Amino acid sequence: MTVTEPDLGSGEQQPQSLGTAAARNLATTTKSEPQMQGISSRWLLKMLPWVQAAGGTYRVNRRLTCTVGNGRVSFTNEGARVKVVPPELREFAALRELPDTTVLDAMAEDFVQREYGPGEVIAEFGDSIDEIVLVAHGKVNKIGPGEYGEHVVLGTLADGDYVGDELLTDPESLWEYTTKTVTSCTALVLPASSFTALLERAPALRAHIDRLGSGQEAAANMHGEADVEVISGHSGEIRIAGTYVDYEPSPREYELSVAQTVLRVHTRVADLYNQPMNQLDQQLRLTIEALRERQEHELINNRDFGLLHNADLAQRTPTRTGPPTPDDFDQLLAMVWKEPGLFLAHPRTIAAFGRECSRRGIYPSSVDVGGHRIPAWRGVPIFPCNKIPVSDTRTSSVLLMRTGEDNQGVVGLHQTGIPDEYRPGLSVRFMGVNETAISSYLVSAYYSAAVLVPDALAVLEGAEVGKES
Amino acid sequence: MTVTEPDTEAVPPRQSLATDAARNLATTTKSVPQMQGISPRWLLRVLPWVQAEGGAFRVNRRLTYTVGDGRVTCVNTGSAVSLIPAELAEFGPLRDFRNEAVLGALAERFVQRAYEPGDVIAEFGHEIDQIVVIAHGKARKIGTGEYGDDTVLDVLGGGRFFGDSLLLDQQGIWDYTVKAVTPCTVLSLPKQAAQQVIDTSGELGGHLEEVRGRARPAHNKQGEANIELSSGHNGEITLPGTFVDYETSPREYELAAAQTVLRIHTRVADLYNNPMNQLEQQLRLTIEALRERQENDLVNNREFGLLHNADLGQRLHTRTGPPTPDDLDELLSRRRKSEYFLAHPLAIAAFGRECTSRGLYPEPVPVQGGVAAAWRGVPILPCDKIPVSATGTSSIIVMRTGMEDNGVIGLHQTGIPDEYRPGLSVRFMNIDEKAIMSYLVSAYYSAAILVPDAVGVLESVEIGR
Repeated sequence: MTVTEPDLGSGEQQPQSLGTAAARNLATTTKSEPQMQGISSRWLLKMLPWVQAAGGTYRVNRRLTCTVGNGRVSFTNEGARVKVVPPELREFAALRELPDTTVLDAMAEDFVQREYGPGEVIAEFGDSIDEIVLVAHGKVNKIGPGEYGEHVVLGTLADGDYVGDELLTDPESLWEYTTKTVTSCTALVLPASSFTALLERAPALRAHIDRLGSGQEAAANMHGEADVEVISGHSGEIRIAGTYVDYEPSPREYELSVAQTVLRVHTRVADLYNQPMNQLDQQLRLTIEALRERQEHELINNRDFGLLHNADLAQRTPTRTGPPTPDDFDQLLAMVWKEPGLFLAHPRTIAAFGRECSRRGIYPSSVDVGGHRIPAWRGVPIFPCNKIPVSDTRTSSVLLMRTGEDNQGVVGLHQTGIPDEYRPGLSVRFMGVNETAISSYLVSAYYSAAVLVPDALAVLEGAEVGKES
Repeated sequence: MTVTEPDTEAVPPRQSLATDAARNLATTTKSVPQMQGISPRWLLRVLPWVQAEGGAFRVNRRLTYTVGDGRVTCVNTGSAVSLIPAELAEFGPLRDFRNEAVLGALAERFVQRAYEPGDVIAEFGHEIDQIVVIAHGKARKIGTGEYGDDTVLDVLGGGRFFGDSLLLDQQGIWDYTVKAVTPCTVLSLPKQAAQQVIDTSGELGGHLEEVRGRARPAHNKQGEANIELSSGHNGEITLPGTFVDYETSPREYELAAAQTVLRIHTRVADLYNNPMNQLEQQLRLTIEALRERQENDLVNNREFGLLHNADLGQRLHTRTGPPTPDDLDELLSRRRKSEYFLAHPLAIAAFGRECTSRGLYPEPVPVQGGVAAAWRGVPILPCDKIPVSATGTSSIIVMRTGMEDNGVIGLHQTGIPDEYRPGLSVRFMNIDEKAIMSYLVSAYYSAAILVPDAVGVLESVEIGR
């Protein structure tokens, strides 16, 4: 059988039946709902357990913590010249309650900037501490002696960390570790001589430091919580210590944050063009999607309650080399070791992690989460989240958290049962019709997130997602 | 579509009530007091708890003839290391020898030596010319394999000794090589020095003579008195009669107590009870603290804690330093039915690194609703009570649990007066003149290892990187 094409050379043929163009005038078009590229899977919103915050505020009560105060300092730079922000020097435990800011200004002036290449030693184990070192930029390893005299990496310092602040209280102390740069580093250094000179000039500082030595330290457990006195392993009629569990006197309160918008629909559109899809419903659906995306963005990036900013400083670790490696993920798991729930990472970070795994010849098995196969590390799922920022220099962060109110994890806060509720914690309220016949709806979502105890959340910082291998 | 955040600059005067003011009328939702010190306490969760009626639990075992291969404790003064004389009784031949003066004389004659990694401390085939005690460091005992190659027989850590057969047999030869793996400090007793002491002390000489003549009763490889059996025989031979002998003074575990007195002001307990009961919350956190202490004791208590109670023969040293898959395999090979590993979270991370560097990804396994890292299907449970030394070394425990499997069991007693939780009582004491109520909170517990091979410990696990 042959199928011949119609001969096109012999001019236009008369149509013998109805053309499709004409037929379409009689037919209905099947239409898709309006599509939106910005919709992501929003795993964080799905996986967080949502707790009802009646009254709009959620107070996280904790046991009294005797903070030791080891924060991070921040810097300003003018061109290549880096300076420490003077009030930030209060992060040094010894200067925590120093009232006088002029002393801090003078001290900040005395810091000298130094540049180090990779692999250089900043301070050697066993030498006397003769300077305070602030790491302004770069990565520095703290190396100590191991059990059999070999070198062991005790930790990694990154931007804002400091060593040698023992110098402030005890001029005779020795370095208990070697500090060695991993990358090229910019450091600010306060030599001991400048500090002694400053002590001469500022009697207020000297008095403050002298007062510190006499202070009594409150008994605390390894998390800094005031001790609950328990005795055990005793026999006989010994006196049993009385105790009580102290709470923090001014606990943190999380207020529900809001994302709002006013949706406008012309009454003529809303009244007439409703077949087959309700115009108002579609407008609302897309608005709510946008609100939910914003909600997830805020839960991660909000400066007040966002998880990236709310993570405890001790629960942040830089990557060991640069890209997110299996070793870094193991380190995160060691930080949130009490029932870790989920990793959250930018899709590019997950890809970078996958590359690192493949390079080492390992293939982590995925896990089943509600019918979806999700990549996992040591059985803990790694959810993608495109709200985690990726910097211009292609670095990103990875979050690991424990969730739930019962196991003292991370919880989402919302309030259900609000007036004109459309979805849980989200209300759509009719505002009115104005003189141009436009009806307005106020769409509001109320939410927040709370980290119940600091070790519920850990952040891997500075994961390089585009490292050439 | 864009959703903009409200512009915070140039705020016009308010036209309605602010949230700050509204909060004065509203209730705040409050969390129960949170406590960072609460851990999952896996050990308490996985141990089967056995009722110890009468406050004590006796572990009856078959009669065992101990060979006495303990560990010798050394003391450091500065860089000089010396032996505690009484510890020399750990040497097999000196087991029942009690003369402190003679032991002191022996201890004094030990000389301190240092070896670098790779140095040979004792060589196969040579005459045994010294007794060596490893004070610090790690050494490998290397034997000759079937086809003449080297096989690692054992890794010796601090406190281990070898060559003590010298006391009985002057002509013995080493049947293994000992090589230092790390820098080692050893104490060595030369043959001549030992001979001098034996010659001068008639009592020691007599004791050794007696030990030489003493025959060890028939026993199996665990040191238990033999049960005589006959098998594979033909004809009408006389069958051996037998009985199973028990240890005459078996070990008894008494329940230990962790206690505290919880004080609460009556005014607080009477009034401030909405929405949470103050006393209940105080009790809850106190009990959490007690339970944390309980787990700590089960691991670290000198009497019954797993780390101290584990048999010396069940303690291994890592081959190189970090916890490698090989070390965990070695641990697993020492017992049947290993159920759980217990390790510090940092040790788990170190093990993960070792696996990753070998290109291995051990499948995690589900444990009681959660997921845990695992090796050969045995879950590695995290426990922050296992100590980590200042130099970054820790231990990994592996165990078999349950009464039926002759494993490890937890001991408690339920049904005590004023019981609040199993094995934990809260007792009202009094109200003093300052109107403070006191409650005595006590938890009673212990743990028993039914047979020695139920628990194994991997020691000197380096967690630094």
